[in-house]
Amino acid sequence: MTTFMALAPLLTVVFGALVVLLLEAFMKRANREPLGYVAALALLAAGFFVIRSWNRDLDYFGGRLVLDRFSLLLIALFVILGLFVLLMGLKYAARQGMNLGEFCGLVLLAVAGLMIMVSSTDWLVVFLGLEVLSVASYALSGLKKTDRTSSEAAAKYFLMGSFAGAFFVFGLALVFGTSGSLDFSTLLAGGVSGAGLAPAGAVGLGLILAALSFKIAIAPFHMWAPDVYEGAPTPVTVFLTVGPKAAGLAVLFRLLVPLLRNEPFAAVFGSALSLMAVLTMFAGNLAALRQRSVKRMLAYSSIAHSGYLIVAVIAGDGPSLVFYLVVYLFMNAGAFSVLAAMSRKGVEYTALDDFAGLGRRYPWLAACLSVFLLSLAGFPPTAGFLAKFYVFSGAVREGHVALAVAAVLASLISVAYYLKVIVFMYMKEDQGEAAIDQENPALYLVIFLCLFGVVQLGLWPGNLLALIRQALSAAF
Amino acid sequence: MLELTLSFLVFGLLAAVMIVINYLLGPRKPNPAREKPFECGSPPLQAGIGPVNIPFFLVALLFLLLDVEIAFFYPLALAFRDRGFGGLAALGTFILVLALGFVYAWKKGIFRWS
Repeated sequence: MTTFMALAPLLTVVFGALVVLLLEAFMKRANREPLGYVAALALLAAGFFVIRSWNRDLDYFGGRLVLDRFSLLLIALFVILGLFVLLMGLKYAARQGMNLGEFCGLVLLAVAGLMIMVSSTDWLVVFLGLEVLSVASYALSGLKKTDRTSSEAAAKYFLMGSFAGAFFVFGLALVFGTSGSLDFSTLLAGGVSGAGLAPAGAVGLGLILAALSFKIAIAPFHMWAPDVYEGAPTPVTVFLTVGPKAAGLAVLFRLLVPLLRNEPFAAVFGSALSLMAVLTMFAGNLAALRQRSVKRMLAYSSIAHSGYLIVAVIAGDGPSLVFYLVVYLFMNAGAFSVLAAMSRKGVEYTALDDFAGLGRRYPWLAACLSVFLLSLAGFPPTAGFLAKFYVFSGAVREGHVALAVAAVLASLISVAYYLKVIVFMYMKEDQGEAAIDQENPALYLVIFLCLFGVVQLGLWPGNLLALIRQALSAAF
Repeated sequence: MLELTLSFLVFGLLAAVMIVINYLLGPRKPNPAREKPFECGSPPLQAGIGPVNIPFFLVALLFLLLDVEIAFFYPLALAFRDRGFGGLAALGTFILVLALGFVYAWKKGIFRWS
């Protein structure tokens, strides 16, 4: 149904961003936390519109913006992600010298970019969303203006992101020149008819693939990721590790799954993607082994997780992909929010040595972090295990046995560094006294919700899985 | 052929006369800025990466903001009969967002140069 209501979630978020930015400029008082509440309200309203649009197949702009169930599911994921990031930032902003108003406004705009990206099958609209997301995230990663690493992260992200954007546009031009259309489906219809795509079009698709892999941080396009994830403020890191990854994978999934069913494409892109997946998993996990900073280690672990997610895309296994993304949101946001809790005014404790003896000093935090790390490593009672299990078994079912074996081996490596943190927390004497400021209710709410998500989805994943299957049955 | 030669001669002579007149009558107050081939405010020879005045950069951005606005007004003027007030409302929303950006920049002190 074509109706203006299809724009409601997007408009709510953008309107919220504008209101927050204006309020920030005109606000006199020093306590900026109300801005965070306004932004959270905008996200909640967007969430309400998402739920109302469920099962109604709304579209607007001549079908260029579609709210089918797949995109609604992902938009709901982004709304939850945005809420987590905002709540994490409430106290963090004041402590680490970040402007909360700018932070909230930019997070909302970045969420709007994510929404545009996943709710279209038109290349130009996807590019538009990608740019809205990118510009907001460049600024977000440099929000700690007095911090050198944060500025460095912003500069690196901006430079590499601009390159990726240029690749995307060039690829788009080649695809448009050879197929005469900027829609996924027409392009694929041309492929089915046997004529296939001219070589230039295939090169264009390759360039688009490279640009998307950059956003998702897949090897060999992952070089920017560790520095940016480490340098960015911790709530922003959560956003960057989950948001662009999920949106990029959704676009890739919409594009690639029909593509991989066609013989000439499957031969090229299938093997290229498998190679990239294996490279990503091993590069991320092996590099993470050597890190002395927990934040950087989690950054590398996030690269490795992109590798597992790509396995789901190659197998064409939509439900596992979305389930993994949801679980990844909870466990990753959880781990990073414990990291954000390890701070006080002007100081963040991210080195591995700061975690020594945490189990005795702050038993609750240490226990939560242990659960998140075990879930990231994929231990049974947690959601991380089920997510990996579905992805790997889906790959085996589709005949990608070697890929699944590589993924299992890579996640075995990952156990080593996740457990290292737990060993440090419980079995090492603390040398320094990392005194943390514990008054941060919003952050603890996020940790609790993540813990709830990880345990709930690990023990009773049925409801969510049924929902995801229902969402994907119609679209693909 | 003769005409061509003649015209070259005439114009050449004219140019020479003007230069001589300028040399004889013009006031001579040389300064470094006038000695340069172009008087556009930026030195002709400088390092590739030099300091740029940041406030100037912001004003340039603001100019871009208003410039884009104009670029969208012209097509609407042409398409106004087809689009009617729906088009005007759409463009109005766009202008409103830009105006909010302008207000934001103003409030943030873009015009307060220290």
